[in-house]
Amino acid sequence: MIKKGLSPFQMAMATFRKNRLAIACVGILAVLYGSAIFAGFLSPYSYDNENREFSYCPPMKVHVIDSDRKLTRPYVNQMNLSFDKFHKRIYTEDKTKSFPIHFFIKGDSYKVIGLVPSTRHFFGVKVPGRLHLWGADSRGRDLLSRLLWGARISLSIGLIGVSISFFFGLLIGGISGYYGGKIDNLIMRMCEMIMMIPGFYLMLALRAAVPTEFNSLQVYIAIIVIFSFIGWASLARVIRGMAISLKQREYVLAAKALGVSDIKIITTHILPHTISYSIVAVMLSIPGYIMGESALSFLGLGIQDPYASWGNLLSEAMGIIQIKFSPWILLPGFFIFLTIICFNIIGDALRDALDPTLKSEGQS
Amino acid sequence: MKRNNRNILNFKDTAKKLLILLVVFLCVDHLSFAQETTFDKHGGQLVFTATSDPRSFNPIIAKESSSSGVVGYLFEGLTKIDGITLEVLPSLAKSWEISRDGLTWIFHLRDDVLWSDGVPFSADDVVFTFNDLIYNDAIPSSARDIFTIDGKIFKVEKVDAHTVKFVLPIRFAPFLRSMATGIMPKHALKSSVDDRTFNFKWGIDTPVSEIVGTGPYLLELYQPGQRIILRANPLYWEKSDQGERLPFIDRIVFLIVQNQDVSLLKFLEGETDSCRVRGTDYALLKPLEKEKNFTVYDLGSESGNSFIVFNQNPRLNPKTGKPFVDPVKLSWFQNLEFRKAVAHVIDKKRIVEITMNNLGYPQYGTMNPNSGLFYNPNVIKYEYDLKKAKQILNSAGFIDRDGDGILEDKEGNVVEFNFFTNSNGAERIQIASIVRHDLEELGMRVNFLVLEFNNLVAKLIANYEWDAILIGLTGGIEPHFGKNVWVSDGQLHFWNPGQEKPATKWEARIDEIFSAAVQELDDKKRKPLYDEWQMIVSQELPVIYTVLGAGVSAVRNKFGNLKPSLHGGVFHNLEEIYVKEEYR
Amino acid sequence: MFKYIVKRILIAIPLLLGMSLLTFVLMQVTPGNFFDTLKLDPQVSPETIAHYERLYNLDKPLFQQYFHWLKNLVHLDFGYSFHYNAPVSKIISSRLFNTFILSLSSMLVAWLVAIPLGIIMAVNRNRFIDKFLSFLSFVSLSVPGFFLAILLLYFASKVGGLPLGGMQSVNFDQMNFFEKAIDIARHLVIPTIVISIGSVAGLQRIMRGNLLEVLRKQYILAARAKGLPENRVIYKHALRNAINPLITILGYHLSGLLSGAALIEIIFSWPGLGTVMLTAVRAKDLYLVMASMLMGGVLLFLGNLLADIMLMWVDPRIRYD
Repeated sequence: MIKKGLSPFQMAMATFRKNRLAIACVGILAVLYGSAIFAGFLSPYSYDNENREFSYCPPMKVHVIDSDRKLTRPYVNQMNLSFDKFHKRIYTEDKTKSFPIHFFIKGDSYKVIGLVPSTRHFFGVKVPGRLHLWGADSRGRDLLSRLLWGARISLSIGLIGVSISFFFGLLIGGISGYYGGKIDNLIMRMCEMIMMIPGFYLMLALRAAVPTEFNSLQVYIAIIVIFSFIGWASLARVIRGMAISLKQREYVLAAKALGVSDIKIITTHILPHTISYSIVAVMLSIPGYIMGESALSFLGLGIQDPYASWGNLLSEAMGIIQIKFSPWILLPGFFIFLTIICFNIIGDALRDALDPTLKSEGQS
Repeated sequence: MKRNNRNILNFKDTAKKLLILLVVFLCVDHLSFAQETTFDKHGGQLVFTATSDPRSFNPIIAKESSSSGVVGYLFEGLTKIDGITLEVLPSLAKSWEISRDGLTWIFHLRDDVLWSDGVPFSADDVVFTFNDLIYNDAIPSSARDIFTIDGKIFKVEKVDAHTVKFVLPIRFAPFLRSMATGIMPKHALKSSVDDRTFNFKWGIDTPVSEIVGTGPYLLELYQPGQRIILRANPLYWEKSDQGERLPFIDRIVFLIVQNQDVSLLKFLEGETDSCRVRGTDYALLKPLEKEKNFTVYDLGSESGNSFIVFNQNPRLNPKTGKPFVDPVKLSWFQNLEFRKAVAHVIDKKRIVEITMNNLGYPQYGTMNPNSGLFYNPNVIKYEYDLKKAKQILNSAGFIDRDGDGILEDKEGNVVEFNFFTNSNGAERIQIASIVRHDLEELGMRVNFLVLEFNNLVAKLIANYEWDAILIGLTGGIEPHFGKNVWVSDGQLHFWNPGQEKPATKWEARIDEIFSAAVQELDDKKRKPLYDEWQMIVSQELPVIYTVLGAGVSAVRNKFGNLKPSLHGGVFHNLEEIYVKEEYR
Repeated sequence: MFKYIVKRILIAIPLLLGMSLLTFVLMQVTPGNFFDTLKLDPQVSPETIAHYERLYNLDKPLFQQYFHWLKNLVHLDFGYSFHYNAPVSKIISSRLFNTFILSLSSMLVAWLVAIPLGIIMAVNRNRFIDKFLSFLSFVSLSVPGFFLAILLLYFASKVGGLPLGGMQSVNFDQMNFFEKAIDIARHLVIPTIVISIGSVAGLQRIMRGNLLEVLRKQYILAARAKGLPENRVIYKHALRNAINPLITILGYHLSGLLSGAALIEIIFSWPGLGTVMLTAVRAKDLYLVMASMLMGGVLLFLGNLLADIMLMWVDPRIRYD
């Protein structure tokens, strides 16, 4: 019986699967992206739902034992706000007013995946109760809800931006390497020029070029475009280098002899061999996009209020006062960190799996 | 035995003498001890924080507080204002007389004042400052409007080396107060006026020795992005009540720190001596007062104001022929009911809680309790009431006709407009965000944008392309100095600037009030006029006020002679403040 | 070697010019141009506007303005900053030095930490310490810089002893040279830690990888067979060869830092190029933005050039002809 051998790709996947840390990270990212997609349903409130009586409300305690010492449906108590003589916020739990947590409760309206309107939320409490499992921000907006809604923007900017860079980087790099000569020269000079501009400065300058009249959606698109513009150049350079060596391969020369068109050669024979590098590069550059968006929002140049992005949630939290008195506000920072570290670990594991020259390192 | 007796007598005698000597000795010692307690108050330094670099050291040109805050210590006016009583006191002028008709003023200048380069101060400098600088059309001086009444300027003439005559076109109540404006040195600046380079003179790259003033401090060093150092002017003329040379503090340092958190930390660690305490900082700072040895001074509400203004400018843009404001929107903004409804959704109480940790005040008018005599507490107060606002809008024809949650006006136009504020203040952006949210609760669609300050100002006073703006102005106790905002042809009459004749009856009335009140020299008669003005503003709502911060400062306990006051702050008498001995 | 440097510079010049042209276009294309604003401001006199127009040919078409700027550049006149009311060169020159020392100190610290860590990891490959340090490096790579900056600021304020923010103490001018150096060094500590943490991770992994690769080589096997003690094998023979490739990264690292430090500079009120750039872009201060970008690009180029030269010097097999 002839055993079908494993293709390099399947071998790579097997190696990858052995790395338990990386698999865990894939799982974490799946949870994050999944939550982002279903943000409307999973979060108790819409991102814009504010109640000023709950400004900077700390995370609420969920009780399961009621006043008769019996097990009951989980509930939270009313929180009352007052200021002490130092103008510090004090929240006291009012045990006489309690609000049970219901599942599949009706609440703020939203659209499932942006299409189907609905008002059902996974969990919540009935008005006039208020549920802040992870606390509230300065306007009394639920942090958990804003984190989930913010995930949509922060996580998608990375994916979309990287896809655009990836597409252009591959294509332009492949063309440049394959054709060589003047085209190659021109394209490489352009790449070097873009890479010569300090990234942060270029980002600022490009952002300043965006007209101030743009609404948030347009700013979102503009930010993606800006990042893609900065990102494709370095990928293109490497792909070009690979293309130069690949175009001497026998199957390429054979295809040429057969009269296959240039574009077809590039896309079917050359670029697929760059996949292993490209995928790793993509994985490792997504964190840069996420950090870039948070940096822009931190400076007030990114996504604006009332829309939530992890970046602008973090910028509201970045102050000595906030760290000292309302530390739960810093959760977005932790999530940004978590996402980035997952992408880094996955990218690293993929590189180890796809690049055979590094394999020997892992062995004895 | 006789000899014994004599000895005893001698002993008593000596003892008495000794006793007398001892007493005298103690007294003498006590006197010299008293001498030692009066130490030399001169010396030491005071460190402030500045939030940005200055943009000019030229007080006539400099408009931002980052520049004027520094430059204010280098120059003086003919008069000055007492930081506590708010009275007008002599400064460069030691006395003055007023003619019976109130139009001619004679100032007798001090003869012992020298410019910091040694040249004597004289009437020539006063005449130069007004005729060649303030009234010079080629120089964009912000003071010019204050000194121009009904288009007429003051006649300023030199009588002799130390006497100046001012002839006013009409009586001008705030005249003495306005004479606190800084006097510039003719000998140092005349040439630049003549060759038309004055507007670039004394910029931030000027060698410090060139900046010449009569004030208590000189500019010693400017390190871009880091600090500005002032040192005591050795030629300064003023003396303390005990005849000591002023100022006492040798050096004033402005540390340039953009980040508010960093400046807070620098104060706590002792690098700076004074720090502005926002409402949100109070909970962190106040408990540390004893431990870190400083005092927090709560001086009441800030002066200044913060308001929302809607664009009611009906005119056409001369370049495009189209109106500045979309006529549909214009009809809303010009509708008093619309503005009343907006006034009812400013959630002042919660805004103060959220942005200032409850250390702030709701604002109902342009003058506030800190403004002294002319504050009118009886203006109309619009309370936060979403339901009432909705009712007002419905009665005015703004109804949600198609059930989409957004209001439409009588013609069916969706109520949508843009709303701007400036990017420099986190607090202001928060206030604007909150207002935006509530306007949307009402059913309006608000496009909120944060703009860079210059951009915003250009919209307000130059190209008029805006719908609603949240902005703040500095304030003061003299209403007339804010005239540019309130008279109908004023440049800062934001909702409809530069009118040729008043567009409404109430604006005409305000013009009359300002015209009459400025000529009324008796404060008691001025008050009812200004009270009426504030009432009209609260009735007609050209601007809708929001909230006011508290003027709270934290100051290290190392200074003597501090006399904090509502109006002057902590350091209004800076020349007399000294560093206590134990902190040298 | 000299010819190579000249060639590189010649190639770089059109690139830098291209970059400046790009910046120029970006700044001009956007609405809210500084000059339009200035013109419309009724408080700015026609005198001032005429002065600027004369100086910078503002009434002429855009490309003429650009060439005018280029011409001035040759005389090292970088133009005038309208926001600061001073020549651009004065504003940039002081900041350039400040950014440079921050980047340099961050780079040094990163290297001093990363090299030993990389060696430890390689020598103890796959043992606990290797995995632990590897995980730590992922952590440090993934924390957003500005987040770390604020956290460190907070903790440093609790602990005390280190200046928080700024570059010089209040009494800087009264210090002697030695005290000044110490003062700046103390102010460097926290920002340097923040910036270098990100770099340490990458560097140590590369060090580890290089050392591992070298340790597999034949001559190492031979040295071990000869009976040399393991210490000598690693530190005398392997390390030198492992570090060589790293030297090339020196240049890239430095130039990367120069731009990456901008956000940290802003948080710590470090008076460097980054803070100026942010203000300039916000105020749309045209010439200041262009000069900052140009400076940034030049520094980046110099860093890369340095890296390539060092590579040539260190590895005689490499020649760029």
